[in-house]
Amino acid sequence: MTDDKDVLRDVWFGRIPTCFTLYQDEITEREAEPYYLLLPRVSYLTLVTDKVKKHFQKVMRQEDISEIWFEYEGTPLKWHYPIGLLFDLLASSSALPWNITVHFKSFPEKDLLHCPSKDAIEAHFMSCMKEADALKHKSQVINEMQKKDHKQLWMGLQNDRFDQFWAINRKLMEYPAEENGFRYIPFRIYQTTTERPFIQKLFRPVAADGQLHTLGDLLKEVCPSAVDPEDRVSLCRSGWSAVVRSWLTATSTSEFK
Amino acid sequence: MANSGLQKLSFNMEEDEFIGEKTFQHYCAEFIKHSQQIGDSWEWRPSKDCSDGYMCKIHFQIKSGSVMSHPGASTHGQTCPPMEEAFELPSDDCEVIETAAASKVIKYEYHVLYSCSYQVPVLYFRASFLDGRPLTLKDIWEGVHECYKTRLLQGPWDTITQQEHPILGQPFFVLHPCKTNEFMAPVLKNSRKINKNVNYITSWLSIVGPVVGLNLPLSYAKATSQAE
Repeated sequence: MTDDKDVLRDVWFGRIPTCFTLYQDEITEREAEPYYLLLPRVSYLTLVTDKVKKHFQKVMRQEDISEIWFEYEGTPLKWHYPIGLLFDLLASSSALPWNITVHFKSFPEKDLLHCPSKDAIEAHFMSCMKEADALKHKSQVINEMQKKDHKQLWMGLQNDRFDQFWAINRKLMEYPAEENGFRYIPFRIYQTTTERPFIQKLFRPVAADGQLHTLGDLLKEVCPSAVDPEDRVSLCRSGWSAVVRSWLTATSTSEFK
Repeated sequence: MANSGLQKLSFNMEEDEFIGEKTFQHYCAEFIKHSQQIGDSWEWRPSKDCSDGYMCKIHFQIKSGSVMSHPGASTHGQTCPPMEEAFELPSDDCEVIETAAASKVIKYEYHVLYSCSYQVPVLYFRASFLDGRPLTLKDIWEGVHECYKTRLLQGPWDTITQQEHPILGQPFFVLHPCKTNEFMAPVLKNSRKINKNVNYITSWLSIVGPVVGLNLPLSYAKATSQAE
């Protein structure tokens, strides 16, 4: 795990330069200037955009403001997806900064989950952590932790504290010496070309013969359309984004050769 | 269904509160067979790539409390809690739905999916008016019988949250699956003790369903024990 520390830090501290513009049909009392922000890839939109909200609300009347939501080129942005995932799926082939439109009206009920509070984000995040551990350890490690440890994971993410987060997360990344890995690898594969939001299946890190599986093995088995017949994994075909959500909370990069 | 058929399925007898995906699909198929016999309108919907799917039921309800099933289905033989009244549908039932004020008819959708992470079924549901406006969780709760509200707040299945449907990608309400094995274990243990065949889906749905306004006619239970 210590070999991976540099990679883990690079993943954690990844940022996307973003320009937020208010939707033109929103009613304002003065002109709304765009707002620029570096977004953390591993976090969630509604967790890191308080300043964006305040900036635009300054030029609006209270009665014209309801739940904030974000959109990119007509696509409502799912706040419950990590920011890096949204960018990679929708905007990675466009020039930076990432241009996001901010809305305060007409919340798209059919597309987006509501985000009533920071507690909702925490609940979602912890739910993901728990599901990952259900796959890795039959939930044993996360259930044995105290509430304060769960809280530390969340606070680490919320406050951008790598060391605070990993002090607890490293326990979720361990497995018994006699095993060669987790029970199953927690992963999700996102593609823009499918109706299904993601592919998630049970996948063991070790084959029956004891060989460690690679990322290529996983893709071949669960997403064969991503792998071309010459046995190369083509991750950059148009319309298909190379997003194996690394679930930084759940996979060690050393799992994949 | 023959016992030898049951043994071929991936049903781990030691961790019997968990079921494999093939077992889940088998129990759903049996459940739907009975649903078709009594006109309860459950159906199986495969995903676009057909690798998996889910069970789905839609029913319509007028806010005053009368129940109307999906057109064509009979409502005979349903056991309903006091808040619902079953009645025979007139032959032109589509007209009946239209003439009722659109804002008062609510469409309820229940989906039963399989969670490979928790190896249990999960109940997803949503409700909307005919014009598409969704109901909030609070609205849905207002239609749930009082005794279930208390149970929901106290029971092991104590979380309903809004989540993205893993196959459709749309917002649904979900009864969280992580405690399912806790309340299913005694049910399955007991059925083993008295040597009775149990359809996991039937038992599970009869426990979690009523809590969110979904009721199962008693004939489902009888169908299971007769299916040898």
